[in-house]
Amino acid sequence: MKASRTTKAFQYIALLGYMVFLGFPLVWMLSTSFKPPREMVEIHPTLVPHNPTLDNYVEAFTEQELGRAALNSLQVSLATAVLTVLVALPAAYALARFKTRLGTVALGWVLLSQLFPFVLLVIPLFLILRQVDLVNTHAGLVLVYVVWALPFALWMLQGFVRNIPRELEEAAAVDGATRLQTLRRVVAPLLAPGVVATSLFAFISAWNEFFFALVLLKSPDLATLPVTLARFVGVEGIARLGPLAAGSLMATIPSLLFFAFLQRRLTSGSLAGAVKG
Amino acid sequence: MTTFAEARRRSDRTTVYLLLLPALLPVLVLSVVPLLRGIYLGFTDARAGRNADTSFTGIENYRELVNDDLFWSAFRIGLVWSFGVTILQFVLALGLALLLDQPLRFRGFARVMALVPWAMPPVIVGIMWRLVYHPDAGLLNEVLYRGGAEGLRHNWLGDFSTALPAVILVGIWAGMPQTTIVLLAGLQGVPRELHEAAAVDGASAWQRFRSVTIPNLMPVIIAITSLDFIWNFNSFGLVYVLTAGGPGGRTMLPMLFAYEEAFRYGNYGYAAALGNVMVIIIVALLALYLRRRLREANA
Amino acid sequence: MFSRGWNRKLVAVSAALLIGLSGCGSGDDEASSEGPVKLRFLSLAWQKDSLAANRELVDKWNAEHADIQIEYVQGDWNSVHDQLLTSFEGGDAPDIFQYESASIGEFAKQGYLADLSGLLSDGFKSEISQGIWDTVTVDGKVVGAPFLLESQVVIANKKLLDAAGVTVPAAGQAWTWDEFQINAQKLTKGGTFGVAWALKSPTNRVMNLSLNFDGKFFYTDGGKTEVRIGDAEKEIPRRIHDMIYVSKTASPDAVGMGGTDPLPGFFAGKYAMLPGGVYLRQQMVEQAPAGFEWVTLPPIKGTTANQAANPQTLSISEDSSAKKQATQFIEYFLNPANQARLAQGDWLVPTGKQAGAELVKTTGGKQGWDVAVASAADLTIAPFQTVSGYPEWKTKYATPALQQYFANKITLDQLGTQLVDGGKQVLR
Repeated sequence: MKASRTTKAFQYIALLGYMVFLGFPLVWMLSTSFKPPREMVEIHPTLVPHNPTLDNYVEAFTEQELGRAALNSLQVSLATAVLTVLVALPAAYALARFKTRLGTVALGWVLLSQLFPFVLLVIPLFLILRQVDLVNTHAGLVLVYVVWALPFALWMLQGFVRNIPRELEEAAAVDGATRLQTLRRVVAPLLAPGVVATSLFAFISAWNEFFFALVLLKSPDLATLPVTLARFVGVEGIARLGPLAAGSLMATIPSLLFFAFLQRRLTSGSLAGAVKG
Repeated sequence: MTTFAEARRRSDRTTVYLLLLPALLPVLVLSVVPLLRGIYLGFTDARAGRNADTSFTGIENYRELVNDDLFWSAFRIGLVWSFGVTILQFVLALGLALLLDQPLRFRGFARVMALVPWAMPPVIVGIMWRLVYHPDAGLLNEVLYRGGAEGLRHNWLGDFSTALPAVILVGIWAGMPQTTIVLLAGLQGVPRELHEAAAVDGASAWQRFRSVTIPNLMPVIIAITSLDFIWNFNSFGLVYVLTAGGPGGRTMLPMLFAYEEAFRYGNYGYAAALGNVMVIIIVALLALYLRRRLREANA
Repeated sequence: MFSRGWNRKLVAVSAALLIGLSGCGSGDDEASSEGPVKLRFLSLAWQKDSLAANRELVDKWNAEHADIQIEYVQGDWNSVHDQLLTSFEGGDAPDIFQYESASIGEFAKQGYLADLSGLLSDGFKSEISQGIWDTVTVDGKVVGAPFLLESQVVIANKKLLDAAGVTVPAAGQAWTWDEFQINAQKLTKGGTFGVAWALKSPTNRVMNLSLNFDGKFFYTDGGKTEVRIGDAEKEIPRRIHDMIYVSKTASPDAVGMGGTDPLPGFFAGKYAMLPGGVYLRQQMVEQAPAGFEWVTLPPIKGTTANQAANPQTLSISEDSSAKKQATQFIEYFLNPANQARLAQGDWLVPTGKQAGAELVKTTGGKQGWDVAVASAADLTIAPFQTVSGYPEWKTKYATPALQQYFANKITLDQLGTQLVDGGKQVLR
């Protein structure tokens, strides 16, 4: 099963190509964040700034409370990720294993909620949150984000649950485990890649969401990162590229760290050998 | 049937509802209610305004909709956009997922890099790609210039024929992470013994891919391509920053069209009607796709 | 991973998170009946100097007025419309907000803005010309205090002008369109275009400049408004189109550019002249390479030098419970000295006459300030600014049609037909 040398070389080249295509903006942000305003308008842009400067970082952090905004975003996104998984996991299990009418309705709602243009739902949603006094709170925001992330989480996880052979659960039942114990001890570990993908998705949706955070949060000290970064872009889309790149780089790094932490879990052991005869 | 099985089934049902409850309540309030309201608005003449009255108008909006050439033109562009982005994105993401599944060196680093489009704040993604495509000082033209292909320099976003492809490329880039991650997670579910058994039988890598990987991956593929299609069809923020729907309406996406109806001209009712129609058409398309795929999967 | 202990920990963590979030995440409560009046001020200042000026003025006010406290909230131009619309519909609007006259009209018609005519003092009103006040008057109500104006000037590369033997006109001696086109011809040589027309948002440009030839586009006869394209309306589009495709003195690539996109080419000598907003001078100062000499040319004139005025405004929301106090703040914020400061920070022109005079004095007229302030005198209201349905006509019909015309895909007559037909669709 070992790949030949030429295949390996080809794989590395392909991987490099992908890295360049997907990762070049990171390099661009890095480069731009150290450029003074004069170098932003060069007709032949260079990778390395001629006169690198730290001014953009200073400006970005002193003008806007980027540190606070980052903390806010982190709080909201982590809460969203955790809650989404906690809520979706049992529900996905139920949807996958039991054929109830509620299950079909749920799946139908999953589809419909993704299809309908969400921009048209913003105002009714806002009004509902106003009724329960959750306007201008992080809790309200997290609640909305969790509900938005649930469809994807449910669809993903129930697909993964389906992939796990029933025999495994039945074997555990024969050994005397209750449903919940089976769920926790047998099924959940095998869902690790699905859970990782779901929490990544929920985290990132919350981390990057702009519009609802803009509309729901009024107090400046509650603002999240996307809302704060948008302030570096002005009329007609003219942007203060230096501070924007500096701030965006600072916003990108926590996400990448979170990914780095989780990505190892993406490859878990396969189901090989788990099914006995 | 023993009483044990019956008791088990009863406890099953309560377990089911217990499992579903935490998800149900907030979803009902925060998702279903606004959704139903949004759908209902499509049958009214709702407008923006402090003292605006909303009255039920039945299918009036839909009669207007049928003759709205601008909407249908945007809808066509939306289909081209969605199909283009979803299919190409899927192919590229599958390739990447397969690579990331291999025991290559720097795999961990590569996986993190693959998620850069996700990690970057959306506000700068659009601005950055606009700069990439800038006719005078853009990265793309600069690379072509330095690579000696000066003649290929182009006004990518301003030219009527290259605007949509250019924008599709950005769409692919932006959506790669979620597709790659899901496919990679799905690849983990392919039992290794099947691969080993096929290898022992003398199958080549390509044959193994076709007969072992793809069939096992099918449910995940169906799920993520459907979701991707829906998400791509609904996205417009990126395109708005890149071209605002231009030039000459060549990149006007239907969701952008509906958004402007609602937020720029205040026609909530009509915008909701547009939303309803789009949902129905997309559901019909998906139903066709899913039915075929499910039939194939179960064959 | 999901052992017993883990599971419990997760539940505990998430519960704590939610409780913690709801506890410490609440923003300000509604203003209580006792204590200082708290007003929320949504500002759109985003440039470094402008931001500093805005914040300083708010801090100064808060220090001197313990009974009226202003909470400064920074918004952004690209999302403010949606933000305002949602907050109006949701009943949660800021008390005072900055925006522009072209866009507050519809909010006014929807009933969300307070009438300032009874609140503002006469002294304040007399500082600003009637034409400008007309741009913020909807159905007889004054819905915003205008304070910053943008005029369309031309920034030129002085060295290229000198080399081509083109004299720089002084503040009061604007070129006519014919002279402008002739000079562009002189400047087009050796890989350099005379002009770069950045027309990503062509409709506003064309509508603004068309006042030069009295092109009104929208005509109202007895309650009914329609779009008419006559010779006056055709002047500006035709001239721009011909500069790009007939005399070839303007770059065809620049047509899709907006805002500051032409700058790299301009600084590299690819374009000699850049028609644009007066705020572009800031980019000249901040980003021009060392040794680059630039000048501000006065706005070009046709039969008149008029341009459409679209001032930035400060408005008060109808739902605000402290309109009088809000007005007090506005009058302070926009007094002549402060207005001059705000305008200087944004490189725009103040609406107040005294503020303008002060600005010229402070800057000595340098860096194009003499031209800028002088150009404000020709800004006045244009018909398209009071038409209901203009945004729809603009986005659905005018912008695509103009983009096609400026890409040389349709003829001038076809452009006219599309604009008129679009008008019929929207102005029903």
